[in-house]
Amino acid sequence: MPPIIEIDGISKSFGAFKVLDQLSFNVAPGEKLALIGPSGSGKTTILRILMTLEGIDSGDIRVAGEHLYQMKKNGGLQPADENHLHTMRAQIGMVFQLFNLFPHKCVLDNVTLAPMLTKNTPRKQAEEQAMQLLEMVGLVDKAKSMPSQLSGGQKQRVAIARALALQPKIMLFDEVTSALDPELVEEVLNVLWRLSEETDMTMLLVTHEMGFAHEFADRVLFFDRGKIVEDGKPDEIFRNPKQERTQAFLKKIIAAGHRV
Amino acid sequence: MGQWAGYLQLILEGALVTIKLTLMGSVLALIMAFIAGLGRISRLRLVRALATAYIEFFRGTSIFVQLFWAYFVLPLLGFSLTPLQAGVLALGLNVGAYGAEVVRGAIKSIGKEQYEACIALNFNRWQSLRHIILPQAFVLMLPTFGNNAIELLKASAVVSLISLSDMTFQAQVVRAQTGSTLMPFLTILVLYFLMSSVISFSIRNLERYLTRGLDGVRS
Repeated sequence: MPPIIEIDGISKSFGAFKVLDQLSFNVAPGEKLALIGPSGSGKTTILRILMTLEGIDSGDIRVAGEHLYQMKKNGGLQPADENHLHTMRAQIGMVFQLFNLFPHKCVLDNVTLAPMLTKNTPRKQAEEQAMQLLEMVGLVDKAKSMPSQLSGGQKQRVAIARALALQPKIMLFDEVTSALDPELVEEVLNVLWRLSEETDMTMLLVTHEMGFAHEFADRVLFFDRGKIVEDGKPDEIFRNPKQERTQAFLKKIIAAGHRV
Repeated sequence: MGQWAGYLQLILEGALVTIKLTLMGSVLALIMAFIAGLGRISRLRLVRALATAYIEFFRGTSIFVQLFWAYFVLPLLGFSLTPLQAGVLALGLNVGAYGAEVVRGAIKSIGKEQYEACIALNFNRWQSLRHIILPQAFVLMLPTFGNNAIELLKASAVVSLISLSDMTFQAQVVRAQTGSTLMPFLTILVLYFLMSSVISFSIRNLERYLTRGLDGVRS
């Protein structure tokens, strides 16, 4: 099967700081990919670029065979316009570290708004679908609550349901447990497990939960200074890292008391 | 005492004009505030320039001069307005210019993460503004809008200069006829205060109503 995401030599700088340096990798459909590495290594930027929250300086990205930042027009390629980005974004969902729920909308409205606005789903149907998603994340009883009444773990589960409501092919998870109290991490990770069992969605996770990445991911990419240093099966990366920088990073993580 | 009742009647008629001016002026100001405030953050340079020109012009010249233009100069250009129309126009445009900066500021103060959530959920620019940004920003605008409405109420007294018989105008009539300053001006002092209290009270209640369930998110 052809890759669902093809990243081809992309570079990105913020001012003088080069976050991504000639980066290339592919993702197969249904693959669960964990992106790990020290902070500032560019892993979150990859997700933000895929979600079109951040542009690229050079290189090419294709999602399901289509250029993300360019569109075909008059037989040539042109920079993508808003319409093209709109079509491309429909295939991708993202969950943020700080949830980014809409504080003025109840949980149900947070989940139904996107299908109603972007797919013209009738309210009744959107609500039925939302209730199924809330069921999956275990929050049916919170449908009418406001986000401010929820714990961090509950907020993040709502955010996952909200992103799923658009039925994306690809889900991006950006450090979704980093802002949570330790005892709330598991309830969010359980949702990811359930998601992987019930769907064949492609998932990209930026995470610092090495134990989870080890068990959950099909493949792990280790990033450092805007480049992929190591790319392999979780067992290879976590048990037998070949690169010195990967070894050093994992050592540090273990020393900090994390389970790998 | 009977004669005072007649004079009070006059002042109350003026109060009605002041209320009318304030309500209609506030509606125009609100509309202008949103048009110009959104214009200021438009992607189109021309729209931004027009909005900025409007805001700077109406903030930068006195409401007194604007009123005289609306009432005495516009007719020369073929637009004749009644004193009430001229008053509403001048007050609305003037206060709307201040309101526009309130609208812009409130929209700008909504966090970047809300915009990013909108992009991730594939809303277009208008949908993001309409459903996510404006409802949150509007709550932030309310206290300053309340101030602006009270300013407008008090500024409405200038219309007496184009012979519109508002509350201040009527007080001056009563003063001229009775020779008493205390009675008419004490009466309108109380009335202005009551009217501004109604504005404050309504805005505060509206704010409370709109922020229900938002506790802990912002104060």
